[in-house]
Amino acid sequence: MSAVVCAEPLDLPGLIAYWLDDLAPDEEERIEEHLLGCPVCSARMGDVVALGAGVRALADRGVVRAVVPSAFLQRLIDEGLRVREYRLAPGDRVECTITPSDDLVASRLTVDLRGARRVDLVKCDAEGREKDRLTDIPVSAAAREVVLLERVDRIRALPACVQRVRLVAPVAGSERLLGEYTFSHTPWAPGPPPAVH
Amino acid sequence: MDAALLGDGDLARRVVAAASAGAPDAEAELYRRLAPRVRLYGLRHLRDEQAAADLTQQVLLMTIERLRDGKLREPERLASFVLGMCRMVVLDLRRGTRRRARALEQFAEDVPRADVADPPRLDTERLTACLANLAERERSVLVLTFHSERSAAEVAQELGLTAENVRVIRHRALVRLRACMSGEEPAP
Repeated sequence: MSAVVCAEPLDLPGLIAYWLDDLAPDEEERIEEHLLGCPVCSARMGDVVALGAGVRALADRGVVRAVVPSAFLQRLIDEGLRVREYRLAPGDRVECTITPSDDLVASRLTVDLRGARRVDLVKCDAEGREKDRLTDIPVSAAAREVVLLERVDRIRALPACVQRVRLVAPVAGSERLLGEYTFSHTPWAPGPPPAVH
Repeated sequence: MDAALLGDGDLARRVVAAASAGAPDAEAELYRRLAPRVRLYGLRHLRDEQAAADLTQQVLLMTIERLRDGKLREPERLASFVLGMCRMVVLDLRRGTRRRARALEQFAEDVPRADVADPPRLDTERLTACLANLAERERSVLVLTFHSERSAAEVAQELGLTAENVRVIRHRALVRLRACMSGEEPAP
């Protein structure tokens, strides 16, 4: 059997917009009729849907590191996910860990973003040496905090350590420090089992 | 001619021509082809896997029933016909109406079942790695988009971007993610 082809394939932006209910009704109808009659485009749509479901499942399992708005974090909590949150102001230090019952870990870093055209989140070791950089993180200029969802699998694997997180605004070959936050991590150690009577 | 080699319209014609005598091969092939497409319609409108499966079953049974009854005059317009069935059943499911489902139960036993391919399964380890390889904005936009199925305008409002900017980032991110998942772009 020869390979099935589509003479007028639907483009990816159109498929995504259709999936997200982001189209005018007549355009939605055109796409639906095409999808019901076209194995090529429906398979492509199926791939996008599967990817979307995969992204959601990974986010729920806490294995996606992402900067998210505060409102999104609240939606996760409202959906019943157990989120361990650490709220820090610039200069703060926190003792932190992750327990087996935590679904997600979120760092909530209070910051004043006024005047910052771009913000990077820089992870440093205890001595302040840069180890990792999240470049041009997506934060609204009006936001009062940066919320970082960490990967729980990575946090669970960490030994006891100190990590400094800096929010910086790159400016003309240099960078302006917006805030530094220190995390003193200790691996989870369960307490002694309850006494048996 | 083998049913698998026919187009959708020719399959529909074969079912119409056989009428009540039935054309099991053509009916099974139509079921196999249309099931994943109708499931996507169901997921899009009902946002629930079980409800989409119920919709698929009902729509395809109704479609074959009506083809047998000669109610599709233009078989080349099968997609439009199925779309009409989909809309009707979605309305029924939203109303919680089980009447149609009950009426179809008897008929269902008479329709040949086809092996319907399972939805594509993802390599989650690779997806984790491919997601990690995206730019920060791309990853955040995808998570916000697909976790709560938010439109570009809604994501834009939360991130302080324009809707057009979100569409561009979303498109670029999905293209990169699909390339990484298919092996066209190496996973990190």
